[in-house]
Amino acid sequence: MRVERRNIINADRDAVWKIVSDPDTYPSFMTNLERWESANERPAGVGARYFVHWKIGSVPVGGLIEVVEFDDLRDLAWVGITGVNLRGRIRLRDAGEGQTKVTFRLSYQAPGGIWGYIADRVAVRQVGRTTADTLKRLKVLVESRG
Amino acid sequence: MPFKTGIRSAMATVGDVIGWAREQIVSRVPKADLDQRDPDYIRDQLPVTWLLASLYFRADVQHMDRIPAEGPVLLVGNHSGGNVPPDTFVFSLAFCSYFGVERPFYQLAHNLVVSAPPLGWLRKFGTVAANHENAQLALESGAALLVYPGGDYEVFRPSWERHKVDFDGRMGYVRLARDTGVPIVPVASVGGQESALFLNRGQWLAKLLMADKLLRLKSIPISLALPWGLNISDLAGHIPLPTKIAIEVQEPIDVDGDDQAVHDKVMASLQGGVDRLAAQRRFPVIG
Repeated sequence: MRVERRNIINADRDAVWKIVSDPDTYPSFMTNLERWESANERPAGVGARYFVHWKIGSVPVGGLIEVVEFDDLRDLAWVGITGVNLRGRIRLRDAGEGQTKVTFRLSYQAPGGIWGYIADRVAVRQVGRTTADTLKRLKVLVESRG
Repeated sequence: MPFKTGIRSAMATVGDVIGWAREQIVSRVPKADLDQRDPDYIRDQLPVTWLLASLYFRADVQHMDRIPAEGPVLLVGNHSGGNVPPDTFVFSLAFCSYFGVERPFYQLAHNLVVSAPPLGWLRKFGTVAANHENAQLALESGAALLVYPGGDYEVFRPSWERHKVDFDGRMGYVRLARDTGVPIVPVASVGGQESALFLNRGQWLAKLLMADKLLRLKSIPISLALPWGLNISDLAGHIPLPTKIAIEVQEPIDVDGDDQAVHDKVMASLQGGVDRLAAQRRFPVIG
């Protein structure tokens, strides 16, 4: 399943990137985040690994992720190494004077054949709400610092 | 005189039969083989257990972060739900989701559970027969181990005692933690004892039928459960009501006092957690 939500933030890309590129700030704006811990010694960037869990349904879902793209002021992407198959991306683009368009994508696939497919379908609404709410909280966080 | 001799002879025969039956059952209990746990199998089953836990039991598992991130740990829970305990599978799902199926995780279960042919798949989940040797083997291998010291005594308590933690004074788990040098993490849960209406532990019935000697069964419980109505023994299981399951993992407890002192700490921690979770419930089953 792929879930995508977008938002316009009234701040320039530098201000948004400053928060998005610092994983230590994720717990302050990511909704339903139960765990966000560094898993290796690398600084934020390609190769940095984190343990990440979102509360989806009854239990924390996620696992070990690795940042695979860290393109200054543009894109930050990660893939899941353990847990459900997962890809995530936060994408920043200009949206006019002093504004930034932020896109948050999560693609995931549970194992287990037909049951995995059903679980994906059941979870998609909650994942959608989680990503949308995450962007709203990011907007509040960035604009309050501006 | 011949009458007394006859009685003695009959008693000896009964004793022989009990001994033979015990031997037969014990020989069928699989030896603990930690290699039977299959992470890929568990991973494939996670979606269906997640669906059951999220939609049917509306489960809520809190504070998984209190479990040490690595190394062996003894997870000690209060047990509910008869022979179909929803709390066990919800917690197992939470553990495997949170730490990944790669982290070794075993659960102790009654001999009858691990030796029943239809439940062979449980061994792939890491379920091993409940005895001190198996438990020690699992912890010494560096795994996390889930135990329910209350066992069949606690799991069949009457539903009106559903919020009471009762291990029947069993403290073997403290010695286990001490011997292996691992911390104890209490895991409190509520909701499981509302999956059926448990009426009586049936310890008198177990004694009457000598199941306590034959099968290590201290209880032959009596309950009202789906689809049977009156359910005696629960050996065939039952369909649990869609009761809301709430689980709270508690702070680790180091084994640094005598057995009784550590046991008291664990019981206080568990009962406190159960009381907190119970206070949040407005209705039975619904939660």
